[in-house]
Amino acid sequence: VRRADGVIALPPLQEARLPNGASVVVARRPGVPLAAVRLLVEAGASLDPRDGHGMANLVAQAARRGTARRTGKEIDDHVESLGSELGAGADEDASYFGLSAPAEFLKDLLDVVVDVATSPTFPIREWERIRRREVAGLAHVLDEPGAVADRAMIQTAYRGHPYGHPTDGRAAHLRRLRRSDAVAFHRRWFGPAATTLVVVGAVDPDAVLAMATRSLGRWKADAPRAPLPPAPPAVERSVLVVDKPDVTQTQVRIAAPALARATPEYFPALVANAVFGGGFTSRLMEAVRVNRGLSYGVRSRFAMSRATGIFFVSSFTKLESTAELVEVILDEARRFCDAGPGEDELSRAQSYLAGLFPLSLETHDQVAEKLADVRLYGIPLEDVSRYREKVRAVTVEQCRELARRHFPLDRGVIVAVGPARHIARSLERFGPVSVIPARKVI
Amino acid sequence: MMFNGAAKYGPKEFDRLLESRGGSSNAYTSNDVTAYYEDFASDALETVLDLEADRMRSLAVTPETLEQERQVVKEERRLRTENSVFGLMEEQLEALVFLAHPYRWPVIGWMDDIERITRDDCLEFFRTYYAPGNAAIYAVGDLDPDATIALLERFYGDIPARPPPGPVAQGEPLQRGERRAAVRYPSQAAALLAGWRGPPARSPDSAALDVLQTALAVGESSRLRRRLVEEEELAVSVNVSWGWRIDPGVFLIFAELAPDGTPGDVERALWEEIDRVATAPLPAAELRRAKRLLRSSVLHELATHNGVAHALGQAEVLLGDWREAGRALELYAAVTPRDVRRAAEAWLDPARRCVVTLEPEASR
Repeated sequence: VRRADGVIALPPLQEARLPNGASVVVARRPGVPLAAVRLLVEAGASLDPRDGHGMANLVAQAARRGTARRTGKEIDDHVESLGSELGAGADEDASYFGLSAPAEFLKDLLDVVVDVATSPTFPIREWERIRRREVAGLAHVLDEPGAVADRAMIQTAYRGHPYGHPTDGRAAHLRRLRRSDAVAFHRRWFGPAATTLVVVGAVDPDAVLAMATRSLGRWKADAPRAPLPPAPPAVERSVLVVDKPDVTQTQVRIAAPALARATPEYFPALVANAVFGGGFTSRLMEAVRVNRGLSYGVRSRFAMSRATGIFFVSSFTKLESTAELVEVILDEARRFCDAGPGEDELSRAQSYLAGLFPLSLETHDQVAEKLADVRLYGIPLEDVSRYREKVRAVTVEQCRELARRHFPLDRGVIVAVGPARHIARSLERFGPVSVIPARKVI
Repeated sequence: MMFNGAAKYGPKEFDRLLESRGGSSNAYTSNDVTAYYEDFASDALETVLDLEADRMRSLAVTPETLEQERQVVKEERRLRTENSVFGLMEEQLEALVFLAHPYRWPVIGWMDDIERITRDDCLEFFRTYYAPGNAAIYAVGDLDPDATIALLERFYGDIPARPPPGPVAQGEPLQRGERRAAVRYPSQAAALLAGWRGPPARSPDSAALDVLQTALAVGESSRLRRRLVEEEELAVSVNVSWGWRIDPGVFLIFAELAPDGTPGDVERALWEEIDRVATAPLPAAELRRAKRLLRSSVLHELATHNGVAHALGQAEVLLGDWREAGRALELYAAVTPRDVRRAAEAWLDPARRCVVTLEPEASR
């Protein structure tokens, strides 16, 4: 809902902390007769064992394959016969279970979501099958140059850090994981104190709270809240060429460690990024696509997690213009750090962000995700409700200052996925080049 | 080229002005339509209509912007087709399913065509198809309908009418036997893409094929996912799409195999499952499940202004009347088990099947 003063009126929230420590957030919203259910446990891939990358994600996938009360098949049959689809997975900070429920079936579906998150039994045959499927799925990732680039970027920008591996893990690690590892991971990290349940939509908040109390409130487990990962190590300028001999286009990423989501600089970062590499009129889009026709797309982004984050630029171009693309991106970053955005660019980016923000709160699912984020990252609800004035308050000087500290100029890794024999030499002028075969990132 | 300047708003101005008013814009081309859309805070409506009408009235195609855009589109083709397993396979499949209909050409074009398109080609296409009589506008959201219509008349009213474009060539011959193509590529695992020429969107069978698609491959308990992915572990993923088009649509099945999977086993299982739905009606519980999933998906689409505008436009283009968008739920509700069986039998005939296999080969 938009108000004249620019404040976004969120639906009234009903929040409760159950006696066992679990948090419940409910928001009633008019609109379509659906309800978004999102249950998050603060146990993500950053807790994966050192030689067990992919554990958190695998645990979430396998959790839905059977509980004390239902087999995996029964769960699928039940949920889908009510017109819904259960989702489960993990990112670096948390594990998620959720679905979009037709409002009339909310009670049944909420019960299933809580059941799989809290009481999975990891039946051995299902565990083995899901593990095989995940390993096989990773093979197909190798055929997607963009996905290979993203994985290589995470691994090099966060080298040695708990965030430094893709959440879906590595094939060699997944093959080693045993069912007993999953049971132990769940027992150690899944508990009510680390759990938040968010329900948004055409619901009666009191009734939802009562349902949540009955199901989630019964859960007894004394898993502690996981410790936050440390600050990432500094990254020197280096170039990683991931060799894919047969592609005809190079995927490029340039990344450096940057900011955690709860940073007080969140809004300057958002606005500076919008000017530099956000919308269709960003500096990067103009330099790379509009003025030179080097790529179909280019963008930059602060990817912010709980403990830390990265700033990265991503794009792609034909093999022969790989070095030119990197050069143009670095030149633009330098130019931005020197002078910051112009007043007109700043004001355009602010209008753009403020104008589009309501569109990110249009559906029940989007609102549920924002509320879950507020919990997970420990950020004020005002980041949502007063988003527009916070965006408008950002200054040219703040943007420039932020860019100087976080744009990947002299440090930061350059990742290029393509045929090494065509592109590696041309990248030597940007830093020491190492070449690895693509299969090394799986 | 539509973002590269017109008479009133020159190069780079379209998005700058729109973004400065709190909006964003994008566009896509499908086999049947090109859609331009803007999302924006509603007080920018006048700006948006001014920008849109300007480019319909007076698009500028300069040699410089055309050359630059040509390079951009070549990068898009390298991204989505030449370096994408699915993109390579899909391009082959469309060329198998259609011998005569222009649907056999990839929407983005063959690389050589992108290279050779001239400024005159662009202008002629623009004059023919970007005419007011060939366009429709949908505005959804926090708007006053009368004031919006008045604004539309103000901005678009003076754009001269042009003759309606001619009909799209038809004449697709009857398919008399399976067609196959192989794509050899240094991929990690095999994959299979199968397709059948279906009815046009207006056919009453369209809704039944949506139900069938849902029963076959939406959700873990769908027939193909349960058998191929869960029970027999022949595939890592299976997806089915039934794409509504003005002329015949294509019913597609895409399966990614496990690295040690055998394409023959996947095909056998797929054809058996297709035969089952073509010979016996869906049990009531499966039909109810599919209808509930479809209802949720319609509700999801209608939950955003963009989704509603899109649904209205699709209904107008594909079904001839935007009002049909409001009938989606009743259309699905009316589908019977017999409809689904009959549609499967009519359209998924083994003799009219087209199959593209991905055969992994060593790197060159």
